[in-house]
Amino acid sequence: MKLNKRYLRSIRANLPFYISASVLTMVTLLMFYLFYIAGVGINRYGDEFFSKYNVEDAAFSTFAEIPDEDIARLEKDYGLTLEKEHFAGVEEENFRVRVFSPNKKIDLYELQSGREPISDDEIIISAGYAEENNVQIGDKYLIHGRQYSVAGTFLRPDYLYMVENLSDDYKNVTTFFLAYMTPEEFENQFGSGSINNKVVYSEAADEAGFRREINEKYFMSDYLSADNNMRITFVHEQADMFVMSSWFILVTFPLLTVALVCILLGRRIRAEQKLIGTLSAMGYEKKKLMRHYSVYAVIPGICGGVLTSVAALLLAKPFGSLGLADYEPMKPRFTLPVWVAVAGVVIPTLIYYIAAMLRVRKLLKEDTVKLLAGQIGNNHRSRRVLSHKKASVKSKFALRQLIGNPGRSFVIFLGIFLGAMIVAFAFSFIDSVKAVGEQAHDEFGSFKYEYILNFLKNGAPEDGEAVLVLPYEDKKSRRFSLMGLDSDASLWNLTTVDGQPADIERGFYISTLCEAIYDIHKGDDFTFRNIATLEEYTVKIDGVIKNGYQSYLISSRKNAADLSGLEKDAYNAVLADRALDYSSEEITEIISDTTYKTQMENMMTAMGALISALMIIGMIVCIAALYAMIDTILSENSHNISMLKVLGLENGRINSMIISSNHILLIPGVVLGIASAYAVMAWYCKEFVEVEHIMIPATLYPKSILYTAIITVLSYVISLLLLRRKVDKMDMIEALKDDRE
Amino acid sequence: MFINVVNAKKQYGTGEAAVYALDNVNFSLDKGKICVILGPSGSGKSTLLNMLGGLDSLDSGYIEVDGRKITGLSKKALTEYRKKSIGFVFQFYNLIPDLTVEENVQVVEETAQNPLSIDEILKALDIEKYRYRFPKELSGGQQQRVAIARAMVKNPDLLLCDELTGALDTKSSRMVLKFIEQLNREYKTTILIITHNEAIAELADTVVRIKDGKIASVVENAKKSTADEIKL
Ligand SMILES: Nc1ncnc2c1ncn2[C@@H]1O[C@H](COP(=O)(O)OP(=O)(O)OP(=O)(O)O)[C@@H](O)[C@H]1O
Ligand SMILES: [Mg+2]
Repeated sequence: MKLNKRYLRSIRANLPFYISASVLTMVTLLMFYLFYIAGVGINRYGDEFFSKYNVEDAAFSTFAEIPDEDIARLEKDYGLTLEKEHFAGVEEENFRVRVFSPNKKIDLYELQSGREPISDDEIIISAGYAEENNVQIGDKYLIHGRQYSVAGTFLRPDYLYMVENLSDDYKNVTTFFLAYMTPEEFENQFGSGSINNKVVYSEAADEAGFRREINEKYFMSDYLSADNNMRITFVHEQADMFVMSSWFILVTFPLLTVALVCILLGRRIRAEQKLIGTLSAMGYEKKKLMRHYSVYAVIPGICGGVLTSVAALLLAKPFGSLGLADYEPMKPRFTLPVWVAVAGVVIPTLIYYIAAMLRVRKLLKEDTVKLLAGQIGNNHRSRRVLSHKKASVKSKFALRQLIGNPGRSFVIFLGIFLGAMIVAFAFSFIDSVKAVGEQAHDEFGSFKYEYILNFLKNGAPEDGEAVLVLPYEDKKSRRFSLMGLDSDASLWNLTTVDGQPADIERGFYISTLCEAIYDIHKGDDFTFRNIATLEEYTVKIDGVIKNGYQSYLISSRKNAADLSGLEKDAYNAVLADRALDYSSEEITEIISDTTYKTQMENMMTAMGALISALMIIGMIVCIAALYAMIDTILSENSHNISMLKVLGLENGRINSMIISSNHILLIPGVVLGIASAYAVMAWYCKEFVEVEHIMIPATLYPKSILYTAIITVLSYVISLLLLRRKVDKMDMIEALKDDRE
Repeated sequence: MFINVVNAKKQYGTGEAAVYALDNVNFSLDKGKICVILGPSGSGKSTLLNMLGGLDSLDSGYIEVDGRKITGLSKKALTEYRKKSIGFVFQFYNLIPDLTVEENVQVVEETAQNPLSIDEILKALDIEKYRYRFPKELSGGQQQRVAIARAMVKNPDLLLCDELTGALDTKSSRMVLKFIEQLNREYKTTILIITHNEAIAELADTVVRIKDGKIASVVENAKKSTADEIKL
């Protein structure tokens, strides 16, 4: 078919369209690919690592040590693996280290670099800290009064997310690390240290029976299932978040771009209606014509798809690594599944192909005479607008173009909208995290330090306010804190969401985070159980206190003590508005009011690269989409443009006459883009509660709104600048030769 | 001399496929004259006109209009030249479909330095009553008159007409030609008309015949006819 000779020429003539359509297809698909690859890669790695190094199902501590000789019997009786882990926390001037004696059955470590500690003065340390602080093999650390040399680094399945204390919201690899020394050296230094019991249940295990016996015989002081252990759950949760994001991205951006490319394709084909009319008048079969035009449509699909796969292969590793920012330096394989690559090429190609076929078919159903005259799709109604009014020709023309081409206007709007949305989303992410740092303080209260004590005390502390904090779990084994405060406590935030002070003497209140996680509300009954005895209690919730960072049930000290079977003036934590003089033996943990802010800042740094990537993608989408569309507008107007040039109008004037109508679309595009980004962020934050156990307030500061607007407008201007020369290059004589209208 | 074309050459294609659209053309014209260019299809008439209008550039030789050399001017200067000095009318009217008759004329009027009054021109061309119509709603002859109005509104020094009656019937053609005469008389506009129609040559002061890119003959008409007199 002679028609085929047109392909190359026509493609060259429409190169900007093909390039931008391919780039659009690529960029949006790529976003999906990368999130998907990262999520799947991390999940797979997590599964493999957990099973290879036998991650715990639960960790617990008892008041009485379980005798070694009981372990084998317990394992047999209840169908489980049980191991006592010996560790010691050491606080040095510049860092805190948790030293372990190596386990043999559960939570085994994997050496990452160097070798095992052989001599007494050697240690291996957690790889994340080593990487963050650029620790070299052979570096010396003074721990507990003795100098050790670093022999290697390791990862542990229960510490892939290096949270120092479980109440923290983000990892700490700057001032905290884990270390192993030889068992002999550990014993020399710390004796048997503190003990944490680790358990792995078999399929047939009797967990409840086991927990009951442990409590009866050895008095359970704390029990934490892996499901409640952020250090363990975070691996899959964050990976799942990536996968979830990828699906979200898939149903928004590529679908929108595919729609956009389809519309553009349709217009390109419509612009050829005279030729199609002529060919069909000459007796070309409908099928042949449809096939001919479909080939054009297939180009951006195939190019875009193939480019995406190539880019995904190249970027999978670096991008996946961005997704690893929160974890210890684990090394998952990030690979592009073949079916995804194939689908990425086939699906858009098929859609474009079908869109082109349908468009040609629809055209061929029209009157051939109309086709020959090029009258299809010229909307004449709009031309009447302002025809009797005094206004500059430029604005009349602009308005008629805008109203007369709803499809085109929609496409431009879509491009601006998409760009603004992605950029605003990136900003919103940053803002929301920032807001956590800024709001957290108010929601906690006015204390500066919270000291968690090692033991229960009675009465009142010399300084500060007494708090009783005890771990409980709901019926699904999800943990929260039961807190008891004195009614005159002033350092803890006790204002309910209704703005009333909580009457803790009389009732029980929950935090907003607790409300969100357990889906219990004011007036509901809340049933929960003691993690040691598994005994159940039910209380009525009298109100909700705004705190999106901690999951707690709060009441008076007396109520909390009664419920826990303790003396009514018991306490095990102290709130203070200044640093108090506790020795490190007395306390297990100090939470300062800046802890959250610091953690959020760390999280920000880690997420920074991902966010920047998102922002750049947003701009590329915006520029490519607008470029494609404005190019289309210019092509569609080539006759008018040529004539205006012949008439001696300057290029700038012509450009503004043809294009300026679209400037107005910046307004709805940017506004709706920002609004949608905020809505998506709000949804994201809601999902985030489950994953991170922290309520991030979806936030978008005015400054960010302004930046989004500026960036979007800038992208728009860039695409205009890129096309500036198109008018200049348009051939004047060509257009004058043929008849139209 | 108002127009001075010297050794103008323009070649399209190369080697075997080379076509000399203009092959060493020398030609000049006084201000205020009407010149008709005749020649077979493909002889280079439009090429010459486009060169005079600054739409395209010569391979060699040069063109002077009103004492100014337009060959070798920058794109910007050529745009300025067209804006200021040149009016174009084509066989296909090339009106802007989204603009009314009045607006089509206004586009040019807005940018011109000493525009004529739109009302006056529309009246003179007898298209005032179509003012608010769109090109689609006009006949070919009416559209061509709008195109002429658009070309004339800036009061150009030089009006270039390529086959301006090519798509029109006798009656419309005569009307358009009458207006061309009138413009020449009233505004002293220099006018170049390309045509296949020998009869139109009778309107001219000078008749130029082109063949294969070369000037075949230049004849000064001793006596001009009026548009009413010629046999179209
Ligand atoms: N852009 C171009 N590329 C190649 N050849 C061209 C181009 N424009 C014109 N020509 C050739 O130059 C020659 C002169 O063309 P031109 O348009 O000047 O003819 P013309 O005398 O106006 O003919 P007509 O009366 O049919 O309009 C022709 O042989 C044509 O094929
Ligand atoms: Mg011609």
